[in-house]
Amino acid sequence: MADYERRHNGPPRGGGRKRRYRDDDDFDRRQQRRRYEEPLSGRVRRLLFTIAESVVRRVEDDVAYIAKTVAENYEDEELRNTYIDATIDLAVEQPLKIPFVAATVLVANSHRSELVAEVLQKASSTLQNFINVGAWREVKLLVRFFGCLQFIFEGDGIFPLLEELFARAVDQQTASSEDLLGLELVKIILFTIPYVMASPATGFGGHANALLEKTDIIASTPHALVDLVKPFPKEDEEPVATPSIISLLQTQLQAESSRNWELVCLPRPWNIPPEGEEEQKPLEPGTRHAFPQITVPNPVPNGARAIFPEVYLSVYANQEVETVPPLSDITSSLLRDSLVDTINLLDFNRNATAKMLIDVDCYFTPHTFVKRATPFDRLRELPQDRPTWKPEDVAVDAVFSQLFQLPTPEHKLVYYHSVLTECCKVGPAAIAPSLGRAIRFLYRGLEVIDLDLTHRFLDWFSHHLSNFGFTWKWSEWVDDLDLPIVHPKMSFINGAIDKEIRLSFAQRIRGTLPDPYQDLITEGKEKDIPDFKYSVDTTPYANEGRELMQLIRKKAGDEEIQPIIASIEEQAKEHGVEEPMLPSTDAFVTSICFVGAKSLSHVLSCIERNKERLLAIGPQSSRARNQIVTSVMEYWADQPGIAINIIDKLLNYTILTPLSVIEWALVENLAAGNILARTEIYEMVAATIGKVTNRLRQIVAARVQPGLYEPQLSVIDDTLHREKADMQALFKVTEDSLVSIANGSNDEQMERGDGSGGLPEDGILRQWGHRWLRVFRRKAAVEEAFIAEAMAGATPVGTVAPPQPVQPAASAGAPVQDANDGDLDVADADAAGQ
Amino acid sequence: MSTLTHNTVDRLDRPSAYYISKNKRRKFQDELESQEEAPDPLANATTLYVGNLSFYTTEEQIHELFSKCGEVKRLVMGLDRFNKTPCGFCFVEYYTHQDALDCLKYVGGTKLDERIIRTDLDPGFEEGRQYGRGKSGGQVRDEYREEFDPGRGGYGRAYADDQRRREEEEYGKGK
Repeated sequence: MADYERRHNGPPRGGGRKRRYRDDDDFDRRQQRRRYEEPLSGRVRRLLFTIAESVVRRVEDDVAYIAKTVAENYEDEELRNTYIDATIDLAVEQPLKIPFVAATVLVANSHRSELVAEVLQKASSTLQNFINVGAWREVKLLVRFFGCLQFIFEGDGIFPLLEELFARAVDQQTASSEDLLGLELVKIILFTIPYVMASPATGFGGHANALLEKTDIIASTPHALVDLVKPFPKEDEEPVATPSIISLLQTQLQAESSRNWELVCLPRPWNIPPEGEEEQKPLEPGTRHAFPQITVPNPVPNGARAIFPEVYLSVYANQEVETVPPLSDITSSLLRDSLVDTINLLDFNRNATAKMLIDVDCYFTPHTFVKRATPFDRLRELPQDRPTWKPEDVAVDAVFSQLFQLPTPEHKLVYYHSVLTECCKVGPAAIAPSLGRAIRFLYRGLEVIDLDLTHRFLDWFSHHLSNFGFTWKWSEWVDDLDLPIVHPKMSFINGAIDKEIRLSFAQRIRGTLPDPYQDLITEGKEKDIPDFKYSVDTTPYANEGRELMQLIRKKAGDEEIQPIIASIEEQAKEHGVEEPMLPSTDAFVTSICFVGAKSLSHVLSCIERNKERLLAIGPQSSRARNQIVTSVMEYWADQPGIAINIIDKLLNYTILTPLSVIEWALVENLAAGNILARTEIYEMVAATIGKVTNRLRQIVAARVQPGLYEPQLSVIDDTLHREKADMQALFKVTEDSLVSIANGSNDEQMERGDGSGGLPEDGILRQWGHRWLRVFRRKAAVEEAFIAEAMAGATPVGTVAPPQPVQPAASAGAPVQDANDGDLDVADADAAGQ
Repeated sequence: MSTLTHNTVDRLDRPSAYYISKNKRRKFQDELESQEEAPDPLANATTLYVGNLSFYTTEEQIHELFSKCGEVKRLVMGLDRFNKTPCGFCFVEYYTHQDALDCLKYVGGTKLDERIIRTDLDPGFEEGRQYGRGKSGGQVRDEYREEFDPGRGGYGRAYADDQRRREEEEYGKGK
C-alpha cells in the first residue's frame, strides 16, 4: 500500500499509463525500448580497461583496434580525452596492463602522432606531479610506461631521465649512509630497464649496461636496515634465501644483459602475428617525439609512506618441482613487482584484485606458466624444457610476500586475508592446494621465522579457515602433539584453535578436529559463562565474594560495596596478608567479570558503573594493578580472547596503565619464559605497546603541523617529551625482561632443574626470548626513526606567530586539514588521560 | 593505495544501493521544501550497519572479526523489539572514518560464523535503531522469508504463521 501512495508523490511515470498488475508489464516491454548504441568513447574505454583480460580474444587485435579507432577519430574530442585519461589511469592503477596500454600508444603513433603527443604531454605532467610529492611507486609505473614507448622517442629517449634519477640517488647515498630514498630511485631505474629492453626500440644495450654498471655499487651493498626486515632472522637457519629486492634485480639484469636481453616473460603485444603465408610487418615508429621535459627536484622529496628495505620472500622456494620462477631468473622479480603493485593499488576492490591475480597468465607471454589449476603432482610429468610454474602459486606467493612484509605492509593485514579468501572463492580447486603448500612451508618454519610473522600467519590461518568451514587437514600435524607445550609448533596449534574458537564457538571447532586434538579443547572452553570461584565455599572470602557479586549485579552504589571490601581486607589483615587490598581487589574484579560475563557490553557497563572504585585501585600500588590483570586473566583463563579484550578496555578507561600490563606479563608472570609461548600474551603485549606508539604518533602529528606557534608549541612539545619518555620506559622494561630469558640469566630459569640451564625446554625458552626481543627491538627502532624523521621538519620551540597572519595559500589546503585533525587528537587524548 | 579520483574499477567502500535509494527518496522530499544541498551524512561516518548475522552470533565473535580493521569503539546488537534477543544485525562504530571504510572493503561480504555478512556505511547509531522493525519484533526481512534459515529462526515468522493457519484449515477440511 505504502508503495502506491509514494508513487503519486513521485515524478510522473512515462506516458501516464497506470500500472495495475505486475503481469501487465511482463510481455513486450523490452522490445519497445529504443535500441541503444554505445558511443565510441564508451566502447574504447571498456576495451582499454579490460585489455588483455580475456583468454579467448587475441590482445594484439584489441591493441590494433583501439589504436586505429582512436587515431582515425582523432577529431572526436570525447573519444580522444577518454583514451588519454584511461591510458594514464591504467598505468598507475593496473600495472599488469602497462605493456598492453603502451602498445596501443606505439601503434597509434604510426597512425596519428598528434594523438600520441597529447598522451605524452598528459603523462609527463602527471609524472611531474608524482615526482614533486614523492609518490615513488606511481613514478616507477609512469616511468615504466615511458620506457615501453622508447621506440617513438628521439635520441636517447628515457635514458637521460634515468641518469638524472641515478644522480639524485648518488646524492642521497653520499649524504647519508642510512639513506633509503636513493635505493628507491635505483629500484625505479632497475625496474624500468627491462621494459625498455623488451620494447621494439633497438640499440640501447650499451645504455642499459652503462647504467647497470653504475647502479651496481648502490644496489649490491646491503643496507644496514635490511637485517631488520628479514623474515628469517638467522642467516644459517633460513629455509629459503631472502635477498634484498634491488640486489636481486641487479644480478638478474646483469645476467639478462649477457643473454642479449631475452626477457622472455614480457609480452610484446604490438606485433600482430601474421596470418597464413603473409610476412610479419614490422611496427612503424611514425613521427618520433622529443622525450618530455621532466624535472627531478634536488634533493628529491620524501613521500608520505616510510620507506624500508624490501626483501624477496617466496613460500614456494625449494620445492622438489619448481612452481614459481627461481631467484636466478629475472621473471621472478618482474612478476612479483607488478603483482605486488597491483595488490597494493587495488585495495579498494578485493574482487578485482583477486581476478587479476587469477588471470596473471594473461598478462605475460603465453606459455610462461603451465595451464591453470594443473595439480602439483602433474608437474613432474611435464617435459623437462618447459617451465613448470603455476600461475596460482605465483599469485598467492605475491600476496604472502605482502602479508609477511616487515616491518608493516602497506595495508591492514585483513586486506591480504580478504584477497586470499576471494582468490579461493574464484578458483577453490586451483587455489586451495597452493595455500596448503604455503601453510606447510610456514608451519615447518615456525621455529625460525620472525615472531611477528608467526602471529600474522596464525591470524590469517584461523581467519581463512573461518571463511571455509574450518576445514584443514589437522591429521598431518598429529605427531607434533607430543612436543612440549612451549614448542613453537604446539604454541601455534593451540593458538590457532583458540583463534578459531573466538571466531566461532568451542563445540563447533571440536567437531572439526581429529581425536588426538580433542584434549586441547578443555571443558572450560565450552562454558559460555565460566564458574565464579567464590561460589565454592572453600575459596577464601567466599561469602564476601558472593555478596559483592550480588551487589554488583543489582547495581548497588559504592556505599553498599565499601563495607564488604572492608570486611575482606580486615579478615586478610587478621590472616597476616601483607597487602589486604589484593584479596579485596580480586573479589571485586572477579565479581565484575562474572556479572558481566554475558557479553562484552555487559562487562563494559559493569566496569562503567564501578569505574570510580576501579580507578582508585591502580594508583595504590603496582601489585594492586597487577591484581586487576590477574583477576581478569584468571576468570577468563579458558577464553583468553575475552580476557585480553577486557584488559584492552581497562587500558582505555585508564584503570590500567600500559606499563602495568607489560609488567604483569613480562615481570610478574614470566614463569622462566614459559609465558612467551602463549600466543594471546604476545597479542596482549603487542596491542598494549601498539596503543602507546599510536598515541605518540598522533602527538607527533600535532607537533609538526605547520602553522603551530607558541604558546601551544611548547605545550605539545612537553607532552611529546613526556610521552616519549614513557614509551621508552615501556620498551626498556620489555627489553630487560626479554634479555634475561634470551641469555638464560633469568632467576626463575636458573632455579629450575639443576640450574645448569640444560633442561630440554631451556633451549626453547631462550629461543622465545630471542624472538620476542627481535620484534620489540624492531618496534622501538621503527618508532624512534619515525619520530626523528617527522621532527626533522618541525617548527622549533619558541617560534612565535609572524606578526601578520599569512593568507592561507590554496595549495596549503591539505596540510591545514591535517593540522586540525592532529589538534583534535591531542585534545581527545588529554581528556582521556585526565 | 591508488591516488586516482576516478578509479578504473569499482570501489567497495561506497554506500550501498539500499542507502542511496533510501536517501534519494528522502532527498526528493526535502528538495520540495528547500533547494539547499545538505552535507553528506556519510562523509565522516565511523559507524557500520552489519546485516545477515546469525541470531546466535555473539558480540565477542563480531568484535573478534571487526577489530581486524581497527579498534572498535562501540558495538550495538540489533534486538528483537519484544523479546530483546539478538535478531541478526548490529552496528559497529570505529574511532575513525578510514577504519569504517576499510571494513567495508575488507570484511563486508566475507563470512562471520559461517554466514556471508553485509556491511553498509551508516550515519550513526541513534537510540531506538537497535530494535527490529518487523511486525513480530525482528527484522522485516525475517517476516516473509520463504526459505528455511536455521541461523535466523527458521522460516519467516509471518510466513510460518500463514503456513500453519493454512495447514490447520486444510486439516479441518479433511475431517
